[in-house]
Amino acid sequence: MFSLEGITNAIQNWLYNTFNPSWALVFECLIVILLATGLFAILGLVLVLMERKVAAHIQIRLGPNRVGPGGMFQTVADTLKLIMKEGLTPDLADKFLFNLAPFVVMIVAMLLLAPIAFARGFQIWDLNIGVLYVSAISSLSVIGILMAGWASNNKYSLLGAMRSGAQIVSYELSAGLSVLSIVVLSGSLQLSDIIASQENGWWLFKGHIPVIISFVIFIIAVTAETNRAPFDLAEAESELTAGFHTEYSGMRFALFFLAEYINIFIVCAIGATLFLGGWMPLHIGHWQAFNHIMDYIPSSIWFMGKTFFLIFLIMWFRWTFPRLRVDQLLNLEWKYLLPISMFNLILVTVIAILGWHF
Amino acid sequence: MFLKEYISDVYNGVTSLLKGMRKTGYYFFHPKEIITQQYPENRATLNLPERFRGEVVMTHDEHNEHACTGCTACELACPNGTIKIITKFDVTPEGKKKKAIDTFIYHLELCTMCNLCIVACPTDAIKMAQNFEHSVFDRNKLTKKLNLPGSKIREGVE
Amino acid sequence: MSASAIIFYLISAFILGAGLLAVTTRKIFRAAIWLLFSLVGIAALYFWMQVEFIAAIQIIVYVGGIVVLIIFSIFLTQQSGKEMPKPSTGKTLFSIAAALFGLLFTYQLIDQYGFANNATRPMNVTVGEIGTQMLSTTEHGYILPFEVVSMLLLAAMIGCIVIAMKNNGGNIEEKTGEGSKLMIHTDISSPQNIQED
Repeated sequence: MFSLEGITNAIQNWLYNTFNPSWALVFECLIVILLATGLFAILGLVLVLMERKVAAHIQIRLGPNRVGPGGMFQTVADTLKLIMKEGLTPDLADKFLFNLAPFVVMIVAMLLLAPIAFARGFQIWDLNIGVLYVSAISSLSVIGILMAGWASNNKYSLLGAMRSGAQIVSYELSAGLSVLSIVVLSGSLQLSDIIASQENGWWLFKGHIPVIISFVIFIIAVTAETNRAPFDLAEAESELTAGFHTEYSGMRFALFFLAEYINIFIVCAIGATLFLGGWMPLHIGHWQAFNHIMDYIPSSIWFMGKTFFLIFLIMWFRWTFPRLRVDQLLNLEWKYLLPISMFNLILVTVIAILGWHF
Repeated sequence: MFLKEYISDVYNGVTSLLKGMRKTGYYFFHPKEIITQQYPENRATLNLPERFRGEVVMTHDEHNEHACTGCTACELACPNGTIKIITKFDVTPEGKKKKAIDTFIYHLELCTMCNLCIVACPTDAIKMAQNFEHSVFDRNKLTKKLNLPGSKIREGVE
Repeated sequence: MSASAIIFYLISAFILGAGLLAVTTRKIFRAAIWLLFSLVGIAALYFWMQVEFIAAIQIIVYVGGIVVLIIFSIFLTQQSGKEMPKPSTGKTLFSIAAALFGLLFTYQLIDQYGFANNATRPMNVTVGEIGTQMLSTTEHGYILPFEVVSMLLLAAMIGCIVIAMKNNGGNIEEKTGEGSKLMIHTDISSPQNIQED
């Protein structure tokens, strides 16, 4: 049967049979780089178009529909425009850091791609601390934003960067705690183990109400961590023009823009992996026939479907809720999300110890 | 009690957020609600709302008669001098002089479609039309004469 | 030289270069960024050694926590964008001497005792084992240091809350909601007051 696992195994076997291990590894790295870059480009185009279409339909509009059938090539045209624009650097900016910042943001987004399992046996690096790795690397993304904000020599940028820093540092806590509840239930940090533990049902359904609460907290926290509305204080266009990327133009702006969407994809993929079983098809307990039918749908489609469902949820938030004020934002985290998720973690631990989950 | 207040806060917050999401979700899954009009294609079937204000016109009936008495209330009401009324004195059959309009000049390029002149008019002689394709190559064409040539005031309008 | 060794030397060169730039640059924000790169390089070295847990902790604690804190404090100080004056020759010489002394001292120690040669045996410790060791009460358990550190952190946290509550102006009886609002106002106004003084 056609599967991505078979293809990757065939390629790996061929490489290791034809070349010596070092060169095979280099070629594998090259293939991964090519695939990752291609994925980024396609995701950028698709997600921006999806965002505009979702926004339009939620606001009872049609959205872009002139370039190509149904507006399909609108983002391609936008990208071409951005490529042709001049990349300006402000006069008194710290030029080195100013030019470095978009790449830092992008590299962090790329590093986060490593442990994600796209399909059965289709994963770049199945490291044994997968979840911890993700939360560690995602704490790096604030650095790029702080660099961009400071190096622009613009008070709006600096304010945006400060806000973003405070926001990401505080929301990381509740995101981490809600992820921990799944780690407690499945007993492993490795993403492949977590997926395997959802063989007889996804954690969202197996883990009772506490897991549903931690799922909600996770979605709220990652929406804040990716700086999206209603938590987009870092770039609040009505107050700070564009926050930390006010001074960026052309391709460097495009990199920030792309990184935002890649980050959304990645956090949604992590959310889908932890709570909705990643590439695992919808299995219900011991219903052999039902599970068997579900297995006929390829695992990559399951993964993409779940991820895009979560992305849609986050877009839905963005186009429904108004932006929070800074004190409201910090109140929400420190007075509501953090205490609730700590209490919730205790509940989940009790459930895991007593074995009350299915 | 603190805990009770806290929990009811959370509950109220979540329910009000869900209410908002239900509304937007309804719009997302019901494309029929979309109100966008794809203008150049649907020019023939274009459906403008009644309250749309395109430009000021003067209504004439089939006898080429209008209801404007030349009172200049609209000219006084206009905030940016869009309307200029030139009056003349007609001589009635009884030999009395009576004020009437000679020319109703309307500068479309100055008009902000604020509707104040229509509100001010005591005889409902002018109204807002729904025409909006105003672009022309010569600015002079935007200065319009609203009363048709040879028109006169309708009988009985004071 | 194997590929692994090449990667090791590349990472080491990156760490040392970034560290050197961190102490020689005259812009304070750049120094923080170079320090960050140096710490990321150390995390990369841990990844190279295949002790992923330590690497992730290195990134979370040092890069995500401490360097971000340093950057925040740089943002809040005045004239963070200005170039610092050149250090005097005496200072430079003294720091070079101090660095050399540290290097010689460490080298001396390592040279004398050397490392036990167990690099061939892969160090494979799961996170579960680390957790068990952390809370075990047996001979090599870390339960006592672990609890002592937790107490320290708890004390620090309570201290923060006490300091934050002092700004309330003695209105502790007030409702929590109003109290938090008051706190925000005083927080905003206090730096201005300091500047006016």
